Amino acid sequence: MGAEFGFRRIYDVAPKSEAGVALRLSDRQVQLGTREFDLYEKVAEQVPSIRSQKEVAAALGMDEARLGRLLTALESAGLIYRADAVPATLSGVELHTMFNKVLPSWLDEAFSHPFWERMTSGQGSRRMYSGWLIELYHYTRNANRHMPLSCAHTREKSIKNMRAKHYAEEWNHYHYFLKALKALGFSEESVVKSVPLPMSLALSNFMRQAAREDILAYSICSAVLEGTTVDRGAYNPYYETCAKLYDLPPESIAPIYAHLDLDVQYQHSDLFLDILSKVDSIPAARASRILDYGHQLIEHIWLWTDSIEKYYAVESNPMPRPTFNKLLD
Amino acid sequence: MQMQLPVLKRSAKVVHGKNDKLAIQYMGQEVTLEGAAAKLFDKMLPYLDGNTGIGGIAERISESPGRLQSFTQQLGQIGVLAFKDADSGERITGEQFYEIHRAYVNEWLQPIYDHPFWERVVTGKATRAQVLGFAFEKYHYIEGAFEHMAIAAANATPEMMPHLARHFIEEYNHGDIYRKGLQSLFPNDLILRAQPLPSTRALVNFLSESAARNSFGYYAGNELLQMTENTGEEKDSSSINDFYDAMRKHYPYTNKVIDAFIAHTNADQKLGHENVFLEMCQSIPPLTRTEVDDALNIVRSMAEHLYLFMDGIDTFYARFPTIPRAPCDLLSE
Repeated sequence: MGAEFGFRRIYDVAPKSEAGVALRLSDRQVQLGTREFDLYEKVAEQVPSIRSQKEVAAALGMDEARLGRLLTALESAGLIYRADAVPATLSGVELHTMFNKVLPSWLDEAFSHPFWERMTSGQGSRRMYSGWLIELYHYTRNANRHMPLSCAHTREKSIKNMRAKHYAEEWNHYHYFLKALKALGFSEESVVKSVPLPMSLALSNFMRQAAREDILAYSICSAVLEGTTVDRGAYNPYYETCAKLYDLPPESIAPIYAHLDLDVQYQHSDLFLDILSKVDSIPAARASRILDYGHQLIEHIWLWTDSIEKYYAVESNPMPRPTFNKLLD
Repeated sequence: MQMQLPVLKRSAKVVHGKNDKLAIQYMGQEVTLEGAAAKLFDKMLPYLDGNTGIGGIAERISESPGRLQSFTQQLGQIGVLAFKDADSGERITGEQFYEIHRAYVNEWLQPIYDHPFWERVVTGKATRAQVLGFAFEKYHYIEGAFEHMAIAAANATPEMMPHLARHFIEEYNHGDIYRKGLQSLFPNDLILRAQPLPSTRALVNFLSESAARNSFGYYAGNELLQMTENTGEEKDSSSINDFYDAMRKHYPYTNKVIDAFIAHTNADQKLGHENVFLEMCQSIPPLTRTEVDDALNIVRSMAEHLYLFMDGIDTFYARFPTIPRAPCDLLSE
């Protein structure tokens, strides 16, 4: 059973209290009693299976009728939905509206990694900050591996133009990060010749995959990435706190602000809407795939952060990471 | 050939012991120096950066250049020192590359074997999501053959084409073996639609990208992955069987999934792929130093991606335990 139901994504589960458990969805908060939450967890674990409804009910210690009532209650609470309720098509603008609603929850998920708390609470280090910046340099330089590819694989002239303009405005932004790294004492050669962490490379490889598959899938990923840089109120405190905690020179922060300001000035966050405005109708399967690309990118960002923390936390790991050289290694 | 700019291998570790003893650890070996030799090495150490000549070092540490020359050459022969100016421009044969590859790979695979995930499963401490996640991610990785093996065959150099064509044709359907195991637990449609972790995607995408640009480097990297599979040798078989036995014991619902793992191992062993890489190495023209470095960079990166694959299963499923990973649809978010 399970093919007839879908489970809404839960973005956060507030700790259990006497009052129960609060589940945060993108558009609502659902309060469940402790017993109901336990049942919900069991249903979420047991329902996607090859067993019949009767067998699943038995595994949950109830009869079929009770399982049916439970599923209806979970549907009313907005935690599950019927697969046949998914619309057959939607317009590009409607997809953008959906994306805009869900983006804040997605970004919360992407940045839910403990790395950020660690850095802003003083448990990080200058080394970790620098490592993060090195990987950001690679990620930005690697835009050259996916942005032009997205132009090459686009068929619609108007979208092709928008993607090309975006690339023209972004292709050399890695210089900002190089400048910041030089202010932190790294030589240009050591940074330019270094190799990214596998997850940093994975980000650009994933973008390349999206670029080859569907320009709208690529564009949602691009929009997610732009979404991480539009809110100065969100990123300024991070840099300012790190600067104070880890004694970072102002010259290492200024280029990053300059880069972020430039992104805002270009209004790249509007690009996804401009692109989707050109698309009259998108079948559900394609729209779902596009959303899925967006969410996969969120997961990439989380795991990227995890990799950065794990690698740069080890003092003996080389920084920046040199390419392999048989003579020297 | 110049031998004037000594450099300590970058991955070598110098460990100071008691009584003037000193050990240089490199590629799973340990070179021990004692007494005068240990003292001399210690004095030289700050200058073994590949930028200071023997004469310069001798002057700085007040030693005779002749003594240093002879000492550094000995350490060079053992392998812990290199000479930055020693590039003779010589090419190396494919067979020589094969030996070098094996030595590095054995070193680079160690962190993967040491990953705590294995222990977590064997002791029954892994969660349901981690255990089923492991099965799903292995399926996604093997199913990824459709991507990287096909790209490798389509972009192969003339020497590599027959090997890479055969490789794809023999292995493209191995994902089905894993899928059969998962079908004992989940509906087929859900398995087919399930999303891999970013770390699994990273491994498959890295294979594909390498396959598109460097046929030989791709297969050298693929060989590293093959070397982690059960070759049928007694030592490998028993440790892998122990792992599966523990998995069956602690997670009985994975019984048929493990049967699928074993069926895949048997299918791989029947193909007799263990000598394919050696055959490839024998069939390619000699390699330049740049080509060797490029191929080995791919191999090292493959090891890092394989580690990421393991670590992703361990870390991601611990934090986000939803399994199977159904894709988004218009109502899910």
